[in-house]
Amino acid sequence: MRKVLLFLLLAAVFTFSASAEALYTEIEDLNGKNIGVQTAVLYEELILDRVPDSTIQYYTMPNDMILALQSGKVDAYLIEEVSYGVQKKNHPELTVLEEPAGYINATCIIGNNERQDRLLSELNAFIAESHENGMLDELYDYWIADFDPVNDTCDITGFTGENGIISVAVEGGYEPFSFISNGNISGFDVDFICRFARAYGYTPEFYEVPFEAIAPGVESGKYDIGMNIVVSAERNETGTLSDVYYSTPIRLVILGEDESSLTFFEQLGESFNKTFIREGRWKLFVQGAGITILITVTSILAGTVLGFVVFMLCRKGNRIANGATNVFLWLIHGMPTVLLLMILYYIIFGSSSLSGTWVSIVGFSLMFACSMIDMLRVGCSAIGRGQFEASTALGYSEHQSFFKIILPQAAQHFLPIYRNDVVTLIKETSVVGYIAVLDLTKISDLVRSRTYEAFFPLIVTAIMYFIISALLTKIVTAIEHSIDPKRRKKDKILKGIKEVE
Amino acid sequence: MIEIKHLRKVFDDDTIPLKDIDITINDGDVISIIGPSGTGKSTLLRCINMLSEPTSGSIIVDGQDITQKGCNLNEIRKKMGMVFQSFNLFGHLTIIENIMNPQITLLGRSRQEAYDKAMYLLQQVGLASKVFNYPDELSGGQQQRIAIARTLAMDPDIILFDEPTSALDPSMIGEVQSVIKMLAKSGRTMMIVTHEMDFARKISNRILFMYDGYIYEEGTPKEIFEHPKKEMTKRFIQRLSSLTYRITSADFNIESMNEELQAYGEKLLIEAERLSKLSLAFEEICMNNIVPESEVPDILVKVEYSEKLDILTMLICYKGERFDVASSGSRLFLNLLAEPTTEVRQDDITDDPMGYEHMISIRFRWVEGE
Repeated sequence: MRKVLLFLLLAAVFTFSASAEALYTEIEDLNGKNIGVQTAVLYEELILDRVPDSTIQYYTMPNDMILALQSGKVDAYLIEEVSYGVQKKNHPELTVLEEPAGYINATCIIGNNERQDRLLSELNAFIAESHENGMLDELYDYWIADFDPVNDTCDITGFTGENGIISVAVEGGYEPFSFISNGNISGFDVDFICRFARAYGYTPEFYEVPFEAIAPGVESGKYDIGMNIVVSAERNETGTLSDVYYSTPIRLVILGEDESSLTFFEQLGESFNKTFIREGRWKLFVQGAGITILITVTSILAGTVLGFVVFMLCRKGNRIANGATNVFLWLIHGMPTVLLLMILYYIIFGSSSLSGTWVSIVGFSLMFACSMIDMLRVGCSAIGRGQFEASTALGYSEHQSFFKIILPQAAQHFLPIYRNDVVTLIKETSVVGYIAVLDLTKISDLVRSRTYEAFFPLIVTAIMYFIISALLTKIVTAIEHSIDPKRRKKDKILKGIKEVE
Repeated sequence: MIEIKHLRKVFDDDTIPLKDIDITINDGDVISIIGPSGTGKSTLLRCINMLSEPTSGSIIVDGQDITQKGCNLNEIRKKMGMVFQSFNLFGHLTIIENIMNPQITLLGRSRQEAYDKAMYLLQQVGLASKVFNYPDELSGGQQQRIAIARTLAMDPDIILFDEPTSALDPSMIGEVQSVIKMLAKSGRTMMIVTHEMDFARKISNRILFMYDGYIYEEGTPKEIFEHPKKEMTKRFIQRLSSLTYRITSADFNIESMNEELQAYGEKLLIEAERLSKLSLAFEEICMNNIVPESEVPDILVKVEYSEKLDILTMLICYKGERFDVASSGSRLFLNLLAEPTTEVRQDDITDDPMGYEHMISIRFRWVEGE
């Protein structure tokens, strides 16, 4: 009898948990599970004492966390209530724990440059004033409480600019705070700063920068203002922060029931429509692909020329020149691409007005030049010393020997490597989003942040990279074949000669 | 034409391949440089066209010291051809371009002129059918003939051959040597570093024997190969060509002869079995028969090996009573004589300057899988 009761009890528990929308009801239920959080927002600190055994996973984009939740990589993730509201509209299967994980207070970080003090006091004055006259509440309601992703717009015009330009770093893929709508930057943060700029006579310039890059960029003085910085003790030590301009609860999002009833092809059509057609987003993709191709092709050309020139100088150069080149090669080869780009952008070109695209081209040209030098070295050393001795003994000058005898043979050795390096370069350019360049990957991220589509834009972007790689590989292969001496026809070898038998 | 004075070369690792070289090369000279390995033969050749820069000394070509800075070496090198041990044909060019391109680039000839010259030379070296082949498609011997044609196309005043046949399969040495012989006959000035003594002897009018960084002895082929004057030259020539022994008493030391025979065989890669056959024949003929039969023995034994024909020969000249090999009492020896790879000749000789009266020559051939 007892066993029957126990069985019934267990069955009831199972039925209950199956019919309930989620497996978890309390924050403590998540202890020992995987929890996702956006990089650098530090929300995990709010609940760590309640889920001490959980593993925290960090994601760059809010939408990647939906993907992680759907594929079971995380069991829950932390996000502001506002963002959850938007996500829920596109992903009805999402749900939240009743109890919020905590509240966040967002501030602006002020750039470490000569205008810092002035901007800080102006911004704090504007925040205080806006709290008083209700403008911030109004904005909060418009953008956050009653957010309409399609129709909400913000006015990004009407600046007098009498006090100069301020550069503002925003995430750009973070609805409803900053996002691309109809090709323009929009959102709560943008609206807020625009109002500030109008009131104090500035012209804002917006840069889409990943969250983790905002603070370093502002610290280096590259940007005047970085938006949406969550207050924490550590941040206060290193950065100059304004007063809080909004406050919002943070939610733990978990998987509920999937209410979707669309067929696979309907979903696909819907995805295509959202990703490409709506708001003319295909234009953004075209623009992003253009930037990717621009960076790749320019870097390949510049890198090839630069690498060749340095190689030629080192070939005859003294030990010091060679040593310096080797140290340089070692430095660049040993550094992750993202770091190299960020160092170039924030430190070396930090105070110059060079755009992210050009900094990327400089960075990738340097990297490709290094590969080129290595390729030439390997290629030329693969050609035996005998070839050089034979041409010298015939009376060829050093210069003639190199260009007529050594290089054509070395090229056959290094061109296959060159082709691979071109493909590698195309793929490596996908990190330029870190320095506010809107390349193909960054565009895909931005669109994804709007559509809340998980898989479709990823696959489509991958296909676009494949196509670009295939095209460039084809070009390099064609060049490779055209200069392969063994592919020449007989009559080309004997051009302009009358054969006498 | 070329005068070399006090030439010295010290390598980075402090070895001194050339210590003090003095030599004058006249127009029309065909000079072979011989000597043991590592005595500076190739280095001397490479210094003449400044592929290796001498440490001190001077090389005067047509009145101009080419070791001086500011000398236009490329112009000098156009007049000096060089043929390398490893051919060094340009791998990315066809045979015809290998011969044409240097003429066009360096001598300013028209493509047609260069082509005509190249075709003529290809016919001379017997490779006119290989015009469109690439070097790696040819055998070593063919590549070396092309390399010679490439050098000739530049109409050089002198050609330097740096061991032109050392990297070749034995079967291909002949074809290259005959091309060089043809050139020697046509009166070209040439300098050849070689280990082929037969070849050096036939084509040269001067032989330089180099030893320890010096030109140790110089002379005509006859002087160097037949009557070398100095000790090291003698040793080198003898060790190279043959082993010679004179037996004048019954106490002849067979053990030391066998040891030398062994070393000779190892150097020339002669099978141990063939050498032991030779030892057996030597003991039976000389020690068991001729020596006991004569009061005062006087036997001259010469062992010679021809790499080209792969024949090991023992020549025995002796005085006194004639000994017929067939009368030997040793079954083992008679079996050896009966083998198809062994050939014996017995002759009486007259008017020998050293007074020998009889001669026995035994030739041992070798058949694989015998």
